[in-house]
Amino acid sequence: MDTLEFDRTNYKELLKKYIETKDEQSLYGAEQISKSFIKNNILPEEIVNLHIQAMIELYPGKSKEIYSSMNFLLETMISYGLAHQEYQSLREKQLELQSEISVAASMQNTLLATSVPKVDDLDIGVISVPAHQMNGDYHHLVTGKDGTIGIAVADVIGKGIPAALCMSMIKYSLESFSEQSANPKLILENLNRVVERNVETGMFITMFYAQYNPSTSILHYASAGHEPGYYFNAEKNNFEEINAKGLVLGVSSDTKYEQYELTLNKGDMVVLLTDGVTECRNNGKFIESEEVIEVIKNYAHLPAQEAVNQVYKYFERLQEFQLKDDFTLIMMKKNV
Amino acid sequence: MNLEINVTEHPDIILVQLSGEIDAYTAPQLKDKLIPLTNRKGVRIEVDLENVNYMDSTGLGVFISALKSSKENGSKITLFNLKDRVQRLFKITGLHQLIDINLDERGVNN
Amino acid sequence: MMSSQSCVTIQKEWDIVAARQLGREIAKKIGVGTVDQARIATAVSEIARNIYLYAKNGQVCFDVIDTIDQKGILIIAEDSGPGIEDISQVMEDGYSTSGGLGAGLPGVKRLMDEFDIKSEVDKGTVIKTIKWVRK
Repeated sequence: MDTLEFDRTNYKELLKKYIETKDEQSLYGAEQISKSFIKNNILPEEIVNLHIQAMIELYPGKSKEIYSSMNFLLETMISYGLAHQEYQSLREKQLELQSEISVAASMQNTLLATSVPKVDDLDIGVISVPAHQMNGDYHHLVTGKDGTIGIAVADVIGKGIPAALCMSMIKYSLESFSEQSANPKLILENLNRVVERNVETGMFITMFYAQYNPSTSILHYASAGHEPGYYFNAEKNNFEEINAKGLVLGVSSDTKYEQYELTLNKGDMVVLLTDGVTECRNNGKFIESEEVIEVIKNYAHLPAQEAVNQVYKYFERLQEFQLKDDFTLIMMKKNV
Repeated sequence: MNLEINVTEHPDIILVQLSGEIDAYTAPQLKDKLIPLTNRKGVRIEVDLENVNYMDSTGLGVFISALKSSKENGSKITLFNLKDRVQRLFKITGLHQLIDINLDERGVNN
Repeated sequence: MMSSQSCVTIQKEWDIVAARQLGREIAKKIGVGTVDQARIATAVSEIARNIYLYAKNGQVCFDVIDTIDQKGILIIAEDSGPGIEDISQVMEDGYSTSGGLGAGLPGVKRLMDEFDIKSEVDKGTVIKTIKWVRK
């Protein structure tokens, strides 16, 4: 006897026992059977029918009204049965999508992989965590032929898959720009033209591009509407916002960017981030940039990678382990 | 959190009062209401953001689209009564230089 | 092999009820069980309501298929309404149910054993669907 036939027989017997004794044990049996029905995709109308058949066999010749009422009940169950089937097919589709997205996410990880360059006088730590499976934040660190270090942090409007698709475009554009054009101002201007041509109206990207020259200890940088980072001045022992003017990428094709510079001394620190860090919300309340600085300060004594990990953990907990937005944080500490 | 969109038409001026949050979920609603208004030639649209406590980049995207559409169609769009946080967003992204933002004054008094 | 068709013209909401009833009677006559009778009636409802709501005018016809191998009821719904532009979309789960419009065409397909639809914009829609008698 297959499980289904077994359940049918069992149903009838339990029903009989319950009608005779009204005991809890039969009801427990009913619970078990109902789980088995669900597992075997038995629809509600079939259960009602099973009930009718069981009643006819157990108590033949009972009130006609009861059976008519049962048929009425059966009819009303049809739509529930359909809803249940639809729910199941949607759930299967959801699983399919999920696995598709996780394949895409791992492709993205390979595609956008970047390694932290080794620089004698700079300790660099990086963390980037997507809110969902795919990351709409972008960061890239590269060592140029001339020994300079290029550091890009970008945030695409929105999050998830559309943002992630846009990321690949940025990566390949950045790579295609020749070494000569590699100064932050020109990189942003070139990238802006590419983005403007390739995204629809209303879509844009913010980017902070910095270039560190180890031989002069100067950090050159420019910003395309990106969330300002922070500079820790060891001598003055204070944090300040790194303010840089510039329009976001993708809005106007002829945008010009300003380039700024900052000389790093021993003990100085530069922190770059995306708004996933500053837009953290705690119980609906936004945290202020002073609080962000406080948190960074608390971990600043650690090696850079450990420090960014700890800062991330702090904000992850603050948001009750449910990131609202992609989170990217880069910390550069000047050791020598 | 929801976004309430209230549109009042005056002669030559359309007042759009927003209340709530503009994020990835509510931005499409705003776009659907706002863009058709910008298609009307010669009209002035004033967007009151006094009761918008939060806006993210998708909200900025809607205003960029609205601005482009108004330029193409010969209408005008102005934002006013921005909360500090929202204003900061326009400033950081450099969009305050493209979009007409009235910092202190109320555009239309009901 | 086929008996003659019987049809119900759908113009008013009451016609949906008439179509359901005719469908159920034919199903019963050829030996369809209670549960499947209810499913056929629901499928007829769904198809007839689509005609009533979107096409305004059309008909639902019933035929008995009786071969050596199997017996079943064939339902043909035909209208000269606006037609369906994207059939794949309306056949997608969640498309009509999310708007609260009922089981939709995917529901009809589930309730029945065989299902076929043809539609042309501005010309109309033909749906053919069969339920076999369970042996």
